[in-house]
Amino acid sequence: MTVTVELAGEGSHEVDAAGKTYADLLAPFDVSKHEVSVLVDGRPVPEDQAVDSDVERVEVVRLIQGG
Amino acid sequence: MALDLDAEQLDRYSRHIIMDDVGPEGQAALLDSSVLVVGAGGLGAPVLQYLAAAGVGHIGIADDDVVELSNLQRQVIHGNDDVGRPKVDSAEEFIAALNPDVDVDTYETRVTQDNAESLIEGYDVIVDASDNFPTRFLLNDACMLADKPLSHGAVYKFEGQATTLTGGPCYRCLFPEAPPEGTIPNCAEAGVLGVLPGTIGAIQATEVIKLILDEGDTLEGRLLAYDAGGMSFDFVPIAPNPECPVCGDQPHIDSVTEGEYAGACTLGD
Repeated sequence: MTVTVELAGEGSHEVDAAGKTYADLLAPFDVSKHEVSVLVDGRPVPEDQAVDSDVERVEVVRLIQGG
Repeated sequence: MALDLDAEQLDRYSRHIIMDDVGPEGQAALLDSSVLVVGAGGLGAPVLQYLAAAGVGHIGIADDDVVELSNLQRQVIHGNDDVGRPKVDSAEEFIAALNPDVDVDTYETRVTQDNAESLIEGYDVIVDASDNFPTRFLLNDACMLADKPLSHGAVYKFEGQATTLTGGPCYRCLFPEAPPEGTIPNCAEAGVLGVLPGTIGAIQATEVIKLILDEGDTLEGRLLAYDAGGMSFDFVPIAPNPECPVCGDQPHIDSVTEGEYAGACTLGD
């Protein structure tokens, strides 16, 4: 079960998602779950939830406050 | 809408007026429009610069900071002699020198739960050029509740984001809550490439002008993520979240005057 995980603006990785949570999918990136929103089909998913078996792609967006 | 542009305006805005998608009607719409820009810093500077140049007739500027020397690497409407002055005063002077067609109202204040609704009330479009999560969540909620379009922009190191929120999906559909306080650095802590807010601010100004003209496709329903290091633009789709507390199926935020916008930016039950 491989999921494409794309951190917006910073590239993507293929991650084996079997038995993992959405937070686990962040491992290839230098971000914590507090710094991002994990999106499936454009909607945020709970990061401590197990990855759904039908998910093939996850978008990750960094929370930025600077202006 | 006043279409009686005078000779000087016909000259000043001639590059707009000759465009089929703007024309004299579009320029008149810009001159009749009002935009509130929250933040006169890195993002606010280019937003104000381009909205004023385009002839947005009424611009509000809300900011409670003074100009610091470390701002001048990116906040291009302020100058050396403005250090120590309120940013709203410096910004107002910049606009007056650029375009006398623009009426400016300044609010030397932080946007708070007590003043957010009244600040946005008289404006057609709101621009979030702020630098902190409490203001961002507060503006989102206030604009969604008041049915005001909101242009969002944010910058961090080499990375910028922009989107346009017009009633759903909203900022909370993407980020239901702010992260725990202190987990996300701001520009002062992490740094920001000086030209980066120029790019994102110009995109925000573009979105505002398109909204006023009712032309083109805005960033509604998608987040633009710009990486200045790799010189790449990504677009992330944002779907309306049925569980969104402000624009979802059963919203429980119906006012910004109650609850808590500091820290994690959640409202109490």
